[in-house]
Amino acid sequence: MNADVIIIGSGIIGCSAAYNLAKNGVSVIVLEGSGNIGNGGSVRNGGGVRQSGRDPRELPLVMYAIKNIWPKLSEMLDTNVEYHRQGNLRLGRDERHREILQGLTDRAVKGGLDVKMISGDEAREINPYLSDEVYCASWCPTDGHANPLMATMGYYKMARRLGAHFISDERVTEIRKIKGAARQVITASGNVYEGDKIILSAGYESRYIASTVGIDVPMQQVLLEALVTEAVAPMFWQMLGTADADFYGHQTDHGSFVFGLNSGYEPYAKPGKPLSSSIAASAACRGIMRYFPSLKDIKVVRSWAGWMDSCADHVPVISNVDEVPGLILACGFSGHGFGIAPTVGLLLSQLAMEQETVLDISAFRYDRF
Amino acid sequence: MNDRSRDIGEFIPAPDDDMIVCRCEEITKGEIRRAVHDGMFTLTEIRRYLRTGMGLCQGQTCTKLVKGIVARELGVRPDELEPATGRAPMRPIEMRILAKDGEGTK
Amino acid sequence: MKRYDMIVVGAGPAGLSAAIEAARRGLRVVVYDENEKPGGQLFKQIHKFFGSKEHKAKIRGFKIGEELLSEAAALGVEVVLNAIVIGLFREKEITVKIGESVEHIKGDTVLIATGASENMVTFPGWTLPGVIGAGAAQTMMNLHGILPGQRVLMLGSGNVGLVVSFQLMQAGCEVVALADAAPRVGGYGVHASKVARCGVPFYLSHTIISADGDDHVTGVTIGEVDKSWKIIPGTEKHFDVDTICLAVGLSPMSKLCDMAGCEMEDNPAKAGFVPKTDKFGETSVAGIYAAGDVSGIEEASSAMIEGRIAGIAAAARLGFITVEERDDEAAKQEAALDGLRKGMFAPGMRGKAISETEEGVPLSQSLLNHGFVADDEIERFPGVTHSKGIHPVIECTQNIPCNPCQDACPKHCIRVGSNITALPSIDPEVKCTGCGMCVASCSGQAIFLVNEDCGDGTAEVTLPYEFLPLPQKGDKGTALSRSGEAVCSAEVVGVRSTKAFDHTNLLTMKVPAEFAMKARFFRRED
Repeated sequence: MNADVIIIGSGIIGCSAAYNLAKNGVSVIVLEGSGNIGNGGSVRNGGGVRQSGRDPRELPLVMYAIKNIWPKLSEMLDTNVEYHRQGNLRLGRDERHREILQGLTDRAVKGGLDVKMISGDEAREINPYLSDEVYCASWCPTDGHANPLMATMGYYKMARRLGAHFISDERVTEIRKIKGAARQVITASGNVYEGDKIILSAGYESRYIASTVGIDVPMQQVLLEALVTEAVAPMFWQMLGTADADFYGHQTDHGSFVFGLNSGYEPYAKPGKPLSSSIAASAACRGIMRYFPSLKDIKVVRSWAGWMDSCADHVPVISNVDEVPGLILACGFSGHGFGIAPTVGLLLSQLAMEQETVLDISAFRYDRF
Repeated sequence: MNDRSRDIGEFIPAPDDDMIVCRCEEITKGEIRRAVHDGMFTLTEIRRYLRTGMGLCQGQTCTKLVKGIVARELGVRPDELEPATGRAPMRPIEMRILAKDGEGTK
Repeated sequence: MKRYDMIVVGAGPAGLSAAIEAARRGLRVVVYDENEKPGGQLFKQIHKFFGSKEHKAKIRGFKIGEELLSEAAALGVEVVLNAIVIGLFREKEITVKIGESVEHIKGDTVLIATGASENMVTFPGWTLPGVIGAGAAQTMMNLHGILPGQRVLMLGSGNVGLVVSFQLMQAGCEVVALADAAPRVGGYGVHASKVARCGVPFYLSHTIISADGDDHVTGVTIGEVDKSWKIIPGTEKHFDVDTICLAVGLSPMSKLCDMAGCEMEDNPAKAGFVPKTDKFGETSVAGIYAAGDVSGIEEASSAMIEGRIAGIAAAARLGFITVEERDDEAAKQEAALDGLRKGMFAPGMRGKAISETEEGVPLSQSLLNHGFVADDEIERFPGVTHSKGIHPVIECTQNIPCNPCQDACPKHCIRVGSNITALPSIDPEVKCTGCGMCVASCSGQAIFLVNEDCGDGTAEVTLPYEFLPLPQKGDKGTALSRSGEAVCSAEVVGVRSTKAFDHTNLLTMKVPAEFAMKARFFRRED
């Protein structure tokens, strides 16, 4: 089967690239190895659309998305992606926390971001549900959150409507060069897909696929865990985090709270199917109780786990591959790909169409390591 | 392989489209049928897109019903559709109780 | 971390049976159950169970539960109630919510015996209060002593629908109709018969069109369906009811197995999504077992045997018994399980149309289509014979795995034989004493004592009677036929209740002789 562009991986990166290409009349085939579209980190993350706390190299990508894409994404995708730009509070309880937050804040201000340190009382003015233990916070009013499920499935839905051809249960085993350029994608079922460009956006699995054309991206799989509660009446709309990163999260439009967890043992998770640990939900709840005691009676209804593709320097690879013409890498998003996905999809479409990219992406080259 | 562009026919409105199927999240039969036509071909995708089975009962009541509706819309047998993954907690648990984890045993 | 040789999740028939077998062989066993009372569904089952004497037949379900519990307690099994297992993680670690805290416990083996949940069907109004599962109705009545409603329509003619219909009437509700979209009664004919003779009309090939009511159920409309399950216009029937009971099947509650990483399959023969297990109930995850409804919907008697096998296998896995002992003991249990899985209701027979019994007797079509055996059909079954004086009439017309009647008769006049699903037959050489043990022993309430000719133009029919208030000798009323129609007037000439009858009262009524083979129930004049 042929198309102008073959995309490997139907996460939000692949789906948003497919959307941008299909919108421009480019024919696209998207291959998903699992049974479900967007089955990896795209639908398992905490939904943060934030600039604060981000690596300075990624800042332009997220700022572009927040300025130009997130506010109109629901309309673009004919799907309510539940985007809220009502700020991010990163909370601290003591002087050590304050130092961590101050460091992050200074770095972000240097990158041109509107973020500042505030006191515990100022934080409680923004969010009256915070406990008295909160001593300080960093506050970035233009940060926010969205629904990762709706954004991912929305990109898929609209790309499909625009003619992108998605095939799931079609695991890619190999990229094959034809006369010096990456052209063919071969799957476990023996099918061969051919295109002028191949976008590899398959999370950690990208590593195995890229190696079939002699390319490696230094990344490792790290578990992420999250939970969701029952729905309650709206309380607040900020995105939340802590200096210790023991949890992060927000309340959704639906009323439920989504919290990302951190027990400290995630890097030691066994490989294979991502499985929830027996301690993470409790560890996070202990943290949450200290900051938000009023959530104590809210019930947790579900928890889950997923793999992040954590890059050696915690910044993704978004890049043409000089030695393998036709191959475009988009992997190693290191657990913060969701917020920048709309920009990344646009950039990937521009790379695939051989247009000038709207932002400088030289910091994300594959050969920087 | 599951071709998401295969022809499953047009969405045809039905008189019982406004009937609630997932009680916890108040999702109707019509919404489920329409989601299938929007490309949500698996129960997991339907769940992620519509929230069916994501409420307090975690699908205990509606899983089988949703499965039947999606299967009919796709023209496949219900048992060809894989159910969504089972996840903890098996029953809703208050955050304050989870937070007390281990206190009794230490 | 606390560790047991075996953790059992679910204190129902499968879980308790497994715990008993494991503990008996020396394992330290803990059983967790989320309910405040143990026993799973057993404690809701007030009817007598089918099966063989060795496997608790003719004992009422809740009594079986009590027996299992005391057996488990005597063997040192810890049964922890109000304990919600939150998850089953790697290394067979479970987290369990007990009271206000969460505990972590590991098991060298884990048995998942979480049972099943009720299926629902949708129709306009199905979310109204008053539409409930039959199991929920049973919980309300039999565990909490609350009437689900006054006037009930039951949807579903499987054993659950039939048994619960009868229990609703026992509790004092009026069952206005029993409907099922299938063209034939799905459950045991004997269960259907005892409902039908109380006057409940059966509407096969009928389903619910809609429930009426603004904030609760005030009525229901059913209609006949054609072969493609579409309502045939003009067949609508309306009933004023306050409760609609749905008995449309169960689904295995197998989420914990899925979470534990057990290989799963969607198996229509097992009624849903179940873990793949070997013959000992072990899943693809070594040391994790599944037994009872969670591994495929069956009767409680099968669940108990599956549990026993898993308990025995876990004992062997942990070296408490040898593999040879396991194989030997499991084989005995399997033989019993095979017995229970025989007959026309065996799991392998699902969806198959059967026209005659194993003995070659044509099945009662009226039973399948209307819930009762027609007068012109009853005579062809081997339990129905005629002789002078009092004699048993066994209206058991389908091959089901059950044989307590065979041992009930002190004179040994009833014979089922070694094949537990065979229809009972009567030895004409043996003189019936009219003791009534057979009547009380029949879990299907299908045995009657009849004296067809008392010499004065009357006949006496003794029938099992499980309603309150109990009629008294001398009460006058109406005899109802197998279909529940009034056939003649009747007078109670005796009511017997002994301990051996276990709450099945034997009511003897006098009717005109020509109704000896027609009158099968008594309704007192109000």
